Amino acid sequence: MSLYADEIIRFSSVLKMSYNLIAGRDELKRMKLRGKKHLISVALPFSDLLFGFPNLVPVFPIRMEVFKVSKYLSYLGSASSIFGWDNVSKILGFVKNAGIKEVSKVIDDIIEGVIETLNEKYNEMYDIGVERGISSDFCFALKTLVGMHVSKMKNVDATINYSIRCSAWNKYLESLKSINNEVKQIWLDIPPRNIGNAIELLEDNIRHAITDLEDISGNSFNDNQLREHFKVANQIHRDYKIIIYEIGSSNFYPCNPATFSEILALLSISFQDYNSNPKRYAQNIHQMVDEMRERIKKGIGMDVSKYKKIMVTPMFGGWEPKTHEIIYNLGGRAIYADWDVFKFLDDIPISSRSDPIEAYAYFLSDITENGIGCDNNVLTNSYMRVAKNLNADGLVFNSLFGCHSVSNCYAMLKDKIRRDLEIPSISLTFNRIGDNIEQVNTRLGAFMEMFK
Amino acid sequence: MDVMTLLSDFSLVLQEKKQTGAKIAAFLTHDNIPEEMMDACGIFPLRMIFGGNEELMNASHDYLPPSTCAFAQSSIGLFSVKPSKYQFLDLVDYFIVSNHCVSDITASEVITKYFNIPRLNFYVSYTKNDNSEKYFRLELEDFKRQLEDITKSKLTNDKLYASIRKYNNFKQKLYELNSLNLIGSKKLQIIQEAMLFGPSYYDRLTDFIERNREKQINQVNKFKNVILTGCSVFINDYLVDLIEDAGGNVCFFDTWIGNHYYSQVFSEDELNSDLNPYDLLVQRYKKNTLSDHSVPNFLDNKIAQLIKINNSQKKKTNKNVGVINHIIKFCDHFSMLSSYFKEKLQKEGITVLNLERDYSGSNRGQLSTRIEAYLELLE
Repeated sequence: MSLYADEIIRFSSVLKMSYNLIAGRDELKRMKLRGKKHLISVALPFSDLLFGFPNLVPVFPIRMEVFKVSKYLSYLGSASSIFGWDNVSKILGFVKNAGIKEVSKVIDDIIEGVIETLNEKYNEMYDIGVERGISSDFCFALKTLVGMHVSKMKNVDATINYSIRCSAWNKYLESLKSINNEVKQIWLDIPPRNIGNAIELLEDNIRHAITDLEDISGNSFNDNQLREHFKVANQIHRDYKIIIYEIGSSNFYPCNPATFSEILALLSISFQDYNSNPKRYAQNIHQMVDEMRERIKKGIGMDVSKYKKIMVTPMFGGWEPKTHEIIYNLGGRAIYADWDVFKFLDDIPISSRSDPIEAYAYFLSDITENGIGCDNNVLTNSYMRVAKNLNADGLVFNSLFGCHSVSNCYAMLKDKIRRDLEIPSISLTFNRIGDNIEQVNTRLGAFMEMFK
Repeated sequence: MDVMTLLSDFSLVLQEKKQTGAKIAAFLTHDNIPEEMMDACGIFPLRMIFGGNEELMNASHDYLPPSTCAFAQSSIGLFSVKPSKYQFLDLVDYFIVSNHCVSDITASEVITKYFNIPRLNFYVSYTKNDNSEKYFRLELEDFKRQLEDITKSKLTNDKLYASIRKYNNFKQKLYELNSLNLIGSKKLQIIQEAMLFGPSYYDRLTDFIERNREKQINQVNKFKNVILTGCSVFINDYLVDLIEDAGGNVCFFDTWIGNHYYSQVFSEDELNSDLNPYDLLVQRYKKNTLSDHSVPNFLDNKIAQLIKINNSQKKKTNKNVGVINHIIKFCDHFSMLSSYFKEKLQKEGITVLNLERDYSGSNRGQLSTRIEAYLELLE
């Protein structure tokens, strides 16, 4: 695993993002207790509205957990507050290069720990969810989310619940009150189709959600603040796309392909709540783009022209994290781009619409109708669009056991890929991290053979 | 009427309808589809209320993964395998893609796409609030447009109003059947037949009720009464027989094939009010608080309803009834909340069996054992 550590420590942006993901608990605690802020549970990238308030903090609930390695990261966090993250990164790189073994091992442990501890925590949440009574027939994502709420829902003031086409998701949201009935549930219904004046209804639903949020916040909603946030969000979306398309599609990577996939995986998880601080997240991701471009410019990194571009999707609801390492070892590079598949990386159209609520309504409606889609025809077109934009050489479809919504359409997708893209594809079944590595290995081995 | 005869009769009825130029629109069972609008356009609404088996489920795996709800799998299988008794499905002209649940969307889409059946769309918001009622009206308007495109004629308010009244009378008659003290399997058989044939079954239904009104059976007293809730029991399914074989009797069908369908009626005052027919349909949607499709209060409403039914049964027998929560495997709506549902009702002294199953024949023995064990627990 030091494969990742060697590479990641040279990106201070990655280090920061990892730190904020894994060691966020203390910061969240401070915000809640000292800063008198209100934590709002959020999953999927539906946190934007909360930034229209000065004291609401979206949190993807796993971030409230205690992670095993966080003490190392705390040291780093403390060091960074004195020396700055860039210097910490440089020092780490120096220590690593100097071959100071013990310190070097700590560094490896930190980065390796970020990945492993996250995976372990996901599995732990899965087990808590199942113990709580969620049927084992549901997907990994819902089981872990139930687990996260059983574990930490007491810390939040509300959950923000956006209805989407997945009925299991909507029922999961309803079930949260059975975990803790004291926590307010704020619902935001997205009409299934954009017909008639459905956008106006959606705008009204957003306003209702804002009223509920005002009750929690004690402050009035500030549309300037939300508009400013949308500008920041759009910058994040653009940088995220640069990483996926400009860097991901190039023939020279700033790091090895497995590390690059690892960074994409970290982005996928952290994007859901922008680590609770969108401005900081925007700076980090922008810096990430700069660092990557700089390295490419200097020729630091790896020629990946011979590595086949493999789009692995959908992975946001759970996937085997060894996948990208296996693909790399087999001569490929895995690219994760789920949020662009579902159109979460499109601009929130504030430049063309002055009312941020109206802009947000159009953004959400587009996600529903053209990203996730009202049906599998649209959804498969979304997968196709991104595979095409990436100029992917192959597609690995992650069939999440128990998912009836976004990962049940492989049969239809396979036909379209064969007909329109003429690239190979394969479906892998995923249930729980680490359960099925041998099979993943074998199937990916057979799949990657097709490129030789 | 046995299933073979029922389906054969139904097939004849459909053929006759086709000969008169009528169109047939099928849909997966759904409590928000405005069947009256189709009827008013001369389109026969065909509910897919047929139970499954292993062969049908397996046939769906070419299109959707095996972790799809067993009912959706079997519905695809009916079009794929096309067993001889279901040949009438060849007569289907349109299939409605709707979002009762996501399996409804994906299975209906598969049926339209791979079996070349033109598609109609009808979607419903998940969250229940004022705006979802307004959205429901938008879908009604859009559905009207789709139907008018098919029939090339206007759907007038008068025609729609007449259909609403026709279906209302039909549902009221079914409600009357519900109040008879009949053995559950018989009651279910008549409800299923009626819902399959639609209002044209009215006279037969009336006749059945009259013939059985005086035969209020004592035989039910020897059984342990249970309420069946959760997923519907479809035609050709043996579940209720298993319950009766084990000494139980379903005294109340708290399912879509059952109370949720025929309890959604309009009063005479409503029908005679100034509301236009679309207002009436929106009104009905608004009052449909027991629809499992909706969030966030479905479960609370469901629990309150079951406590109410139990209390009314208790008045008659001085005993709590049991509740069997029928969960078709991989059903998002009933499976997700099942443990909370059980916990809440058990606190009220109502014994609940969460009975999860698919349509494989091999689990029949296991189901029997679970039902028997459960019934032994009842007073």
